[in-house]
Amino acid sequence: MPLEYPVVRHTLPNGLQVVVSPDHSTPTVTVNLWVDVGSRHEVAGRTGFAHLFEHLMFQGSRNVASGEHFSLILGAGGRLNATTWFDRTNYFETVPTGALDLALWLEADRHGHLLDAVTQTNLDNQRDVVKEEKRQRYDNVPYGNAMRDLYATVFPEGHPYHHPTIGSMADLDAATVADVHAFFRAHYGPDNTVLTIVGDITPAEALAKVERYFGGLPAIGHQSRPTLAQLAPLERPARHTVVGAVPNDRLYVGFRLPVERDPAFLAAALAIEALAGLSMSRMVRRLVRGDQSATSVQGHTMGFVDGVSLGLLAVDVADGVDPNAIEEALLEELRGFAASGPTEVEMEAALAGAERGWLSDLAAQDQRADALSHQALLHDDPDYVNRFLDELGAVTPDEVRAAADTWLAPGSRAVVAYLTGEENVA
Amino acid sequence: MTSPSAPETASLPTDSVGMPLPRPDVDPPGRWTFPEPTTARLDNGLTVHAYDIPGQYVLSIRVIVPLSTRAEPRDQEGVATLMSRLLDEGTQAHSTDEFTELLERKGIEFGAALSEAGLTIHAEVAKRSLPAALALVEEALATPSFPDKEVTRLVRTRLAEIEQERASAPHRAIREFAATYFDPAERASRPTAGSPETVRGLTRAEVAAFHATHVAPNAATLVVAGDLAGLDPHALVAEAFAPWRPSPVATPDQRRAAEAAADRHRIVLVDRPGSVQSEFVVGTAGPDRSVEPAWAAYPVLSFVVGGSPNARVDAVLREEKGYTYGMRSSFRPRRAGGLFLTTGSVRTEVTVEALDLLLGILDSAREGYTDQECTAGVDFLRNTAPGRFATADAVADEAATLVLDGLPLTFTTANLDAMGRLTPEALAAAYGRFVDGQWTIVIVGDASVYADRIRALGRGPVTVVAN
Repeated sequence: MPLEYPVVRHTLPNGLQVVVSPDHSTPTVTVNLWVDVGSRHEVAGRTGFAHLFEHLMFQGSRNVASGEHFSLILGAGGRLNATTWFDRTNYFETVPTGALDLALWLEADRHGHLLDAVTQTNLDNQRDVVKEEKRQRYDNVPYGNAMRDLYATVFPEGHPYHHPTIGSMADLDAATVADVHAFFRAHYGPDNTVLTIVGDITPAEALAKVERYFGGLPAIGHQSRPTLAQLAPLERPARHTVVGAVPNDRLYVGFRLPVERDPAFLAAALAIEALAGLSMSRMVRRLVRGDQSATSVQGHTMGFVDGVSLGLLAVDVADGVDPNAIEEALLEELRGFAASGPTEVEMEAALAGAERGWLSDLAAQDQRADALSHQALLHDDPDYVNRFLDELGAVTPDEVRAAADTWLAPGSRAVVAYLTGEENVA
Repeated sequence: MTSPSAPETASLPTDSVGMPLPRPDVDPPGRWTFPEPTTARLDNGLTVHAYDIPGQYVLSIRVIVPLSTRAEPRDQEGVATLMSRLLDEGTQAHSTDEFTELLERKGIEFGAALSEAGLTIHAEVAKRSLPAALALVEEALATPSFPDKEVTRLVRTRLAEIEQERASAPHRAIREFAATYFDPAERASRPTAGSPETVRGLTRAEVAAFHATHVAPNAATLVVAGDLAGLDPHALVAEAFAPWRPSPVATPDQRRAAEAAADRHRIVLVDRPGSVQSEFVVGTAGPDRSVEPAWAAYPVLSFVVGGSPNARVDAVLREEKGYTYGMRSSFRPRRAGGLFLTTGSVRTEVTVEALDLLLGILDSAREGYTDQECTAGVDFLRNTAPGRFATADAVADEAATLVLDGLPLTFTTANLDAMGRLTPEALAAAYGRFVDGQWTIVIVGDASVYADRIRALGRGPVTVVAN
């Protein structure tokens, strides 16, 4: 049975897609914008730029001083942030209902008129901030660059997901004010944006306010390139090994998966849950609780839109255990699963966990708004948030088995191994 | 920022018919209050609070068992945490694999957290599976079996975790801070989850003994929050928890704050050659939430001094200098007493300049606050409350924290109301009660780059220790 969150859609003449979902349980409103630009749109030599640009959106616009977006929203009792990912950049605030106009005015000012306020000083400052973000979250952290290495190992050179959103220091250094202008003009406009409002407001009021603040922004005539064709699984295993200062050996085993709304993507996600995501999963049972050769096993799925997604197993190898033996055990479990498929209990647990997780994701207004923007921008289908669990529940055990057989084959794995030992940067 | 140089009309955003749109005013929200529970007590002594939060279809359960890590024998430190991690690893009725399966077939997320003030079990579950979740939480708490094999495994896991924490700069920094700030005789000076020498030899018997003497319903509280329409939560809890037998448990006096070390005003550099960043912890004493005249000033001070990119610390270190992705200052209450900590990282080359600037900002915050800062901080905390406490999870967390700290469940609302009466003078007085310009400072990074220049700052004796 589908969920019943209300979803009202409207598109302004300038192309802005608006989604409204009233919820009067608290006197607050979330404004959430997804812009159809992320690190997948970056060109060689400018990796990390979409994210650096996102920082500049807080440094002032035509009628807003640097830092004022933050101080006005916080001072009104709002919470706000923005994030950049492969497929999109999002901007969001949750404010008391009486501050909705302010939030929309601020968003319209920066989404329409950012460039008036961009300066070399602001760019240099936020470049420094982003470089510290990169050091703090990746470079100064054990295993901090493992995901970067996995993207580069699973996806081919030049593919949109080959490089991480944070980019490289050299490319961040190379960014210029002219790049900022060109990027804004190419990607930021109402016809490349979804605006979702969730909270204590009626759809009519919300749409009137959106028209008021965003109606005057001109379309940029944005033309999206078609997404790339689906990448096939790797034809042979790929491997990247890093030896250095890590507390224990850790293996990341990645697989190419179908794009996120392909039916086989959900089946592959359920397979990964049954193999490594659940506490009762086969790999946790065998390696963590069974022979205790691993201290943790995790399984994750990352859905993307541009021709491929990512499936991932991560294993912390117990002290004194040969990582090759662990890898062989993983492959054995993959082969067994592809042959026999999930048990009834594995299906039941994977679905029950997904239901609880999905309902938790929708429990707060701000996250619900983000889910609606996601489905509206990337799939033109915000109501999917209400149908997701039904679609997941309709996946059959044999589809799960088949997805594992096709997409999680041992011969299609990419392994990134972080091993303890003397540093040896190859 | 707009009035002195009011933008030209032509540059204002315009609506669809070309009319300019000035910055909108904000209608202030009305008073908001934290939800109130219905409360009952079971025959076995378990107190039950039920919060009905319409529209929250994942229900949150917490069980709070007050206990003190001071009760751990010195050579068994970490036994309380190990006990908490073993609760869902098998019971008298179900093996480890069976119990895991029972939880996951119902989609129940189960976790246990152990702090200096007690044990908190949390479980999240879709509404229709509440009865199953309550029964399994009771089973885990009342009849855990602590299988030998799982004890051995989780000891090894903790030893691996200690190595992972040692490799993580923020964890390494906070561990060194606790060891430097607190008197070495205090339990608080050492990791809550135990150290290699105290964890390595822990046995099933020790874990079971700790459970038997500290975990019982008589002193415990259960919180359930979420959409309870059509459910009788008290009846469901009573049925599920009836089998849990009361027993005499130690109820330690938790009102004594941990003593600080006499030589805490010093700087410790944890040396990591080649580190690209320096991780800071700068701290001093702070209050707990029972402080007189009121706790209300401290969240506001945390926001104004170091709670956002516009706060005093990041206005300089991030937005002006670009030294950091962000540093945060906050008052962190403990069960008794507390800390005022500033944490974050800067690139190695600017370590000394950043520390000097940071200490200047923290010290000068004793001199006072503007009306604008006070209003912004108060409005942020009061007006974000409805959204911050909108989910079942957030309500259950807040209630559990109050129970653990021995505070009334009316505290949250009273505290928000008290914030509304704060003045800049009250903020300055509250800050000055704890911040005296003497700091305990830990920096994790490449000490060879900056040790001499840190000494030259004259902010206290400097020691360099290995990672």
